[in-house]
Amino acid sequence: MSRKQITFTLVCLFVAVSLVLSGCATAQPTEAPVEETAPPEAPEVATEAPVATEAPVEEKKVATFIWTQEFDTLNPLYTNMWFSEITQQLWLAWAWNFDENANPVPYLVTEMPSLENGGLSGDGKTITMKLRDDITWSDGTPLTSADFLFTYQMSIDKNNAVASAYPYDQVLSMEAPDDTTVVMSFEEPFAAWQATLWKGILPAHVLQPVYDAEGTIDNAEWNLNPTVGCGPYLLAEWESGSFARFVVNEAYWGPKPKIDEIFFRFVPDDASQVAALLAGDGDLGTFIAYSDVPKLEEAGVKIQSVKSGYNEGMFFVINEEFSPGMADVVVRQAIAMSINRQAIVEDLLLGKTGVPASYWDSLPYYNTPPVEDYPYDPEAAKAMLDEAGWVDSNGDGVRDKDGIELVFDYGTTIREVRQDTQAVVQQDLAQVGIKVELQSYDADIFFASYDQDGPAAKGEIEIMEWSDTSNFPDPDYYYWYCSEIPTDEYPAGANWQYYCNEELDELFTLQATQVNPEERQVTFQKINQIFHDEVVWLGVWQDPDLWAVGSNLQSYKFSGVTPFYTITEWDLAE
Amino acid sequence: MTRYIVRRLLQAVPLLFVISIVVFLLMMNMGDPIATMGGRSATRPADRLRLKKQLGLDKPLYVQYLYWLVGNDWAKVDMDDDGIAETPGRRKGVLRGDFGTSLVNRGKPVLKLIGERLPNTLILMLAAEAVIILGSLLVGIYSALRQYSTLDHLMTGILFVGYSMPIFFVALLSMYLFAVLFKRWGLPYLPTVGMFDPKVGKTASQVLLHMVLPVLSISLISFAAYSRYIRSTMLEVLSQDYIRTAKSKGLPRREIVFIHALKNASLPIVTVIGLDLPLLLGGAVVTERIFAWPGMGRLFLDHVSRADLPVVMGIIMLIAVAVVVFQIITDVTYAWLDPRIRYD
Repeated sequence: MSRKQITFTLVCLFVAVSLVLSGCATAQPTEAPVEETAPPEAPEVATEAPVATEAPVEEKKVATFIWTQEFDTLNPLYTNMWFSEITQQLWLAWAWNFDENANPVPYLVTEMPSLENGGLSGDGKTITMKLRDDITWSDGTPLTSADFLFTYQMSIDKNNAVASAYPYDQVLSMEAPDDTTVVMSFEEPFAAWQATLWKGILPAHVLQPVYDAEGTIDNAEWNLNPTVGCGPYLLAEWESGSFARFVVNEAYWGPKPKIDEIFFRFVPDDASQVAALLAGDGDLGTFIAYSDVPKLEEAGVKIQSVKSGYNEGMFFVINEEFSPGMADVVVRQAIAMSINRQAIVEDLLLGKTGVPASYWDSLPYYNTPPVEDYPYDPEAAKAMLDEAGWVDSNGDGVRDKDGIELVFDYGTTIREVRQDTQAVVQQDLAQVGIKVELQSYDADIFFASYDQDGPAAKGEIEIMEWSDTSNFPDPDYYYWYCSEIPTDEYPAGANWQYYCNEELDELFTLQATQVNPEERQVTFQKINQIFHDEVVWLGVWQDPDLWAVGSNLQSYKFSGVTPFYTITEWDLAE
Repeated sequence: MTRYIVRRLLQAVPLLFVISIVVFLLMMNMGDPIATMGGRSATRPADRLRLKKQLGLDKPLYVQYLYWLVGNDWAKVDMDDDGIAETPGRRKGVLRGDFGTSLVNRGKPVLKLIGERLPNTLILMLAAEAVIILGSLLVGIYSALRQYSTLDHLMTGILFVGYSMPIFFVALLSMYLFAVLFKRWGLPYLPTVGMFDPKVGKTASQVLLHMVLPVLSISLISFAAYSRYIRSTMLEVLSQDYIRTAKSKGLPRREIVFIHALKNASLPIVTVIGLDLPLLLGGAVVTERIFAWPGMGRLFLDHVSRADLPVVMGIIMLIAVAVVVFQIITDVTYAWLDPRIRYD
């Protein structure tokens, strides 16, 4: 054989081996439970013609969901990633789901604990849950209070590097007096329990042996390849960077799903996601840019807007030491009145959302009576600034006072619509004599902590913009406590506004312990008023989840907290 | 030759060591891995403090590098924050073949992650490279033989249009044209994203079908450079005396072009290919992202954006090793192509 032939043969072999490797090597097969290996109505795809005498095999119903981010892990304790968290209604379970109005719906529990049924103690410090007695894991093992207890223990175990120990670090003690009862005690009444507890239960019978052997569940195989679940579907395969396939859990204790397989395809590029939806290569997509909505709707893709608590807003550094200009409330009020936020919504978001007047805009109960937003009135803003002594004394086009110029850094992440917003805001504020210098960062740099020299955490950006929510559907949040101001001694502090208001501190502390909604509502009236008067936060646009639904998908219903809570009812057109 | 190869490999060791230090230092300033662990909200302060300690990110830079290099199974770690280091470390270090676990896909070994993506990148990039080389050879040789002909001008023009377009534009344009619009117009169409249709399964034909658009996009922007390079080297060789001699001896034109001219024109081309090949392992970052191709480029991008140091270090070290190895292979190929070259 000549050298030429050898070379040619080697090249061919290399390509062929690569093809074979790709075709069979990269998937993460589960330890296939029996139901998966031979599902009666989900045969391996018919690539060959069926034998004529056999009855025709019903085609498998496969729904393709396009995810722009891949799950980091599937263990609920190790992820805060939304794209991972919301899949748990498919294959795992929360103790209770939330419906389209964000009201809790009992799932693993027989009823929601309340004062009336004795599940909630009078002092609000003890919660007793009664579990259903017919729930099982996909391998047939009963799901009991021992699994709840194990989940709690794993989340607070210091040997486990879980994503967040909250809210289990608030629990004083937890007991499981019998298989269907879980009793939790708190040092103080814990108002946010409904929205934060039991988002995913761990199978103790799978993970306890791992913990016993390794002293941690950090590296448990189940985290990335959960062979046992308790939802209507079960993970069949997850190929890194490519897809994850969920098939029907034949041992599911609830109604059988109508769709045979949910196929998540990971498509990181927004434009590609839109193209795939337009081409019919996906039945569901999310995180859709508003600018893509018209062409999707034109192609028959339906857009569902679902409130998930998020609002895009501006956070200001309100601290004399860091920014004397921004510390003046008149300046912040003038900023609120100088930015045409409605125009931003109309022009950049095609008028498909609104301007939130309150940080709790998505929770109307805690924004009652609704806060009145600042009007767009640049002339009034100019007058206010003049009156407060902020005038352009040196003729450079920027207002100043006592040698302090109204020049601010305005930073956000690199999301396109945010950068467009920055440009509009810069123009609007320039008209009233306030100059902003625009900064944009990758998320891991923008949100880096104080000791990692994160520009926001260090107080270097006087106007910070991102989308955020409370513990939706609970209104509780912790950013604004004085004790959260970052320092060298406490670099993890979350109060990047360096804003300390003792009255607000007391109100936030109070509401966190108010298990009586009426009393809590009154507290939030006061909080909302301070937020408005002091312009602690300025809403730019309501930021609901946008779902793009292909024309084949039917009987779907979304929730802003647990989007797939009715997944067993979803169907695909024949 | 063996001594030469061994010497080159030994020389690569300090080089790789320096690369690892430089990249490690750069990565430490690339962002905060814990910053993005909070999902759509910021990571809670108490969790930040705990995770920094548990993931070893609170250690001084040189200690973190040392642990990455030689592991920490000889040291103890304070996991429960009581001031006493009592938990033995679990990492063995790169020198013992342990590249650590991903900070993003918690618990997943870096080598396993890379191993899952590498075959996908290889099939895409090797196919693209094969198309580029074969296509460029055809175009380059034709252009050299028919210099300034109409077809030469036409091909050059088309190739330069492709060359001047950014790859994301070519990729998205081809996706909209051949997948979205062709389907709308009722023509045979290509798939948009991924490696296969879930209703059919991951078969070789599905993978080939899904490769068409990414390979086309990568090839289109690389054709021009390669073909122009081949054209110019071929023109240079074709004007040499020995070619004239071969012609005057009456050798067939095909033999003159493909045996005598092309082999000698190949030396500089081999250099370019030798430099390009190791970079194939890094994948085509933009193309893989747009076509949702689960390769190394996407792996790198996804993990560098979340400051996942172990994975990024693993990928870069793999590419660094590949560059060294392919450079040696290139040198060996020189000797094979040109018997005058000797390394011993």
